[in-house]
Amino acid sequence: MTKMIGQRAIASLLSLLGLMVLVFFLSRLTGDPAVLFLPIDATEQMKQEFRALHGLDLPLIEQFGRYLLDLLQLDFGESLRKARPAIDVVLEAYAWTLPLALITMSLVVVFAIILGSLAAFNVGGFFDRLISVVSLVGASAPDFWIAIVAIVVFAIGLGWVPTSGVGTPLHWVLPVAVLFIRPFGLVVQIVRGSMLSALSAPYVKTARAKGVKNLPLIFVHTLRNGMLPVITVIGDQAAAMLNGAVIVETIFGFPGIGKLMIDSILQRDFNVVLAAIMVTAIAIFIMNILIDLAYGLLDPRIRH
Amino acid sequence: MILKPILVGALLASTTIAPALAQENTDITVVLSEELDLVDPCMATRSNIGRVVLQNISETLTELDVRGDEGLKPRLATSWEDKGDGTWQFKLREGVKFSDGSDFDANDVKHSFDRVFSDQITCESKRYFADTALTINVVDGFTIDVKAEPAQPILPLLMSLVTIVPSETPMEFVRDPIGTGPYSMTEWTAGQQIVLTRRDDYWGEQPEVSKATYLFRSEPAVRAGMVAAGEADIAPQITQEVADNKATDFSYLNSETVYLRIDSQDAPTDDIRVRQALNAAIEREAFIGTVLPEGTELAVAMVPPTTLGWNADLTPHAYDPDRARELLAEAQADGVDTSLPIEIIARTENFPNVTEVAEAITQMLTDVGFNATLRMVEVAEHEQYYSKPYPESEGTRLVLAQHDNSRGDPAFSMFFKYASEGTQSGVNDPKVDDLIARASAATGDERAALWSEVFAYVHDEIVADVLLFHMVGLSRVSERLDFTPTIATNQQLQLSEISFK
Repeated sequence: MTKMIGQRAIASLLSLLGLMVLVFFLSRLTGDPAVLFLPIDATEQMKQEFRALHGLDLPLIEQFGRYLLDLLQLDFGESLRKARPAIDVVLEAYAWTLPLALITMSLVVVFAIILGSLAAFNVGGFFDRLISVVSLVGASAPDFWIAIVAIVVFAIGLGWVPTSGVGTPLHWVLPVAVLFIRPFGLVVQIVRGSMLSALSAPYVKTARAKGVKNLPLIFVHTLRNGMLPVITVIGDQAAAMLNGAVIVETIFGFPGIGKLMIDSILQRDFNVVLAAIMVTAIAIFIMNILIDLAYGLLDPRIRH
Repeated sequence: MILKPILVGALLASTTIAPALAQENTDITVVLSEELDLVDPCMATRSNIGRVVLQNISETLTELDVRGDEGLKPRLATSWEDKGDGTWQFKLREGVKFSDGSDFDANDVKHSFDRVFSDQITCESKRYFADTALTINVVDGFTIDVKAEPAQPILPLLMSLVTIVPSETPMEFVRDPIGTGPYSMTEWTAGQQIVLTRRDDYWGEQPEVSKATYLFRSEPAVRAGMVAAGEADIAPQITQEVADNKATDFSYLNSETVYLRIDSQDAPTDDIRVRQALNAAIEREAFIGTVLPEGTELAVAMVPPTTLGWNADLTPHAYDPDRARELLAEAQADGVDTSLPIEIIARTENFPNVTEVAEAITQMLTDVGFNATLRMVEVAEHEQYYSKPYPESEGTRLVLAQHDNSRGDPAFSMFFKYASEGTQSGVNDPKVDDLIARASAATGDERAALWSEVFAYVHDEIVADVLLFHMVGLSRVSERLDFTPTIATNQQLQLSEISFK
């Protein structure tokens, strides 16, 4: 087990390094931050001074060398736009994205597994159809639209929750709810499909013959076997969420990593872009390792 | 390893409870469209920063009255005088204290200018002094001489753009701005909110607003909704789609002018008939009340009507597609290749409905026979086409751009947009250069008359560009406030102008 984690960590580190090199050079191809930071009628001299102040006038390879040296001391550089350490900016935003992703994904997993399993057990029945309709609508409705409608109905119309922002737990209701819908729709479908095949296995018949009741049959006997494909999809969805939820963050004024990353890319704030991508990548690597461990836990054959 | 601080941070952050929504009677909440990256006073001429900082936290020596017609008013300076030879003398207000308790005097003014001109920090207000060298001479505690080389007739106006900081302020961006204004910043939670609290020891009249909380939401529907739901009191820059309540939604000229920049050095737009045809081909009225809000005005100059030297005699180019076709045919008969491609470059999110506006313009140009296409680009790419050196093209490019001048004087626009050396100019005309140079150096009525002449010359004589619209801004203001947004609201939002019903 430790060996597996070790190997994965080394592989992840190499990918991380590759990613960093790629992003460093590609981002610098996209434009000059001086033009974006300075007003449109800035003189060439002002632009030169700005570049010199931030080391952007150095040869690209020297910039990269300096960046690497700083990085070895865990210095991710300064944000051009915010004039403070890029890593602080990123970790601040990540401290909002991580709980948002954790809460949402936990709800998705719990609800999708329970409702998906029940739907599979009751295949073709009213409950199954209801779940299918709800999940399909959820998986296909655009979230910016759902977000705005949710604000209009629940915040402005009914006044149950605040429109946007963070602060109280109530502020989290709408963002989590909107973010929940799409992965829920997807995962519940996978759970249903996977449970359908698991429930048709011969051992289920044996269990029934032994007199095992319905609920233990689903959640004790079958679920574990039906979970493997579900875990894969959950991993995918969670990775997407760790990247931040740009639309939900933008609409609800939620200070997460998604909007920060988009804004930094548009403003060519290279250090923040790099730091954000690396922090996100590390989070995703960690999550992948957790997913691998979960596979092993569910199916002992995978452990070896 | 890196996860631990994140988790701890997440835990801490998620348990922080922000101030309750309930507000004191004189506390207000303003919801802005963009977050502030910086709150440094020397960046206050950047509009998103200025709306929070300018004249609220930090003050300037002079102040332009954009709401009324008082012109340039004293603020931290009480009077000023032209001593000749490019030198202006400013008398400073006595008994003024910064929010850190220190006294304001001439050394603070000198340091504020040193800071703007320092190469250790990139201050936005530096751009207004691009070709002017300033020498600041402290005469006594409350008198300074400012010498400009070359002489700068609008120096007192330029003083309305430089915020004054204490002489201890470091030559790097500060995160706790100290100023002489009626408010001080008491909280800044990055990504969430900024709070300004009224000072008790302000030198001037006490404003009515006791505390202002600034929130940031980029979605206009959310901003408008927050005022409707009582979560905010002022929401600037909403769109016409969401401005559906006459009681709370104000529309006003916002000092932005939209135009198509023509490169008159390029074929086929080097021929004046082609430029006239471009102007005659566009039905400007058709945009207003449809894709642009009611109240939008047709532009005849690069600056809004509140600017010095405004020329009321100019009329917008009439929409006349037949005339446009004739002009093109005449040009073609004289050997101008009117079939050359014309690419319109427009920037996404430049203003609400910019895509629809750009598409309609492209269609109108195509209808009269131009070989026009449209390309929507993001801000960095737009800048490459908008500012010199312009990239090569097979035919020519028209850049759809929006220019903001609420500063009261055309000097902040005309050189950049029309002089041969101007960064975004498509004009190369000695008469324009001469007129702009003379107008920039003139004072009083002569200055106004010269600017007026420049406007007429570029609009009617050389048809330098396709001026389109003076834009309208829409803001939603809670009914409990007595506040009318104006042309100045784009650049600053003085809390002292807000009172309660």
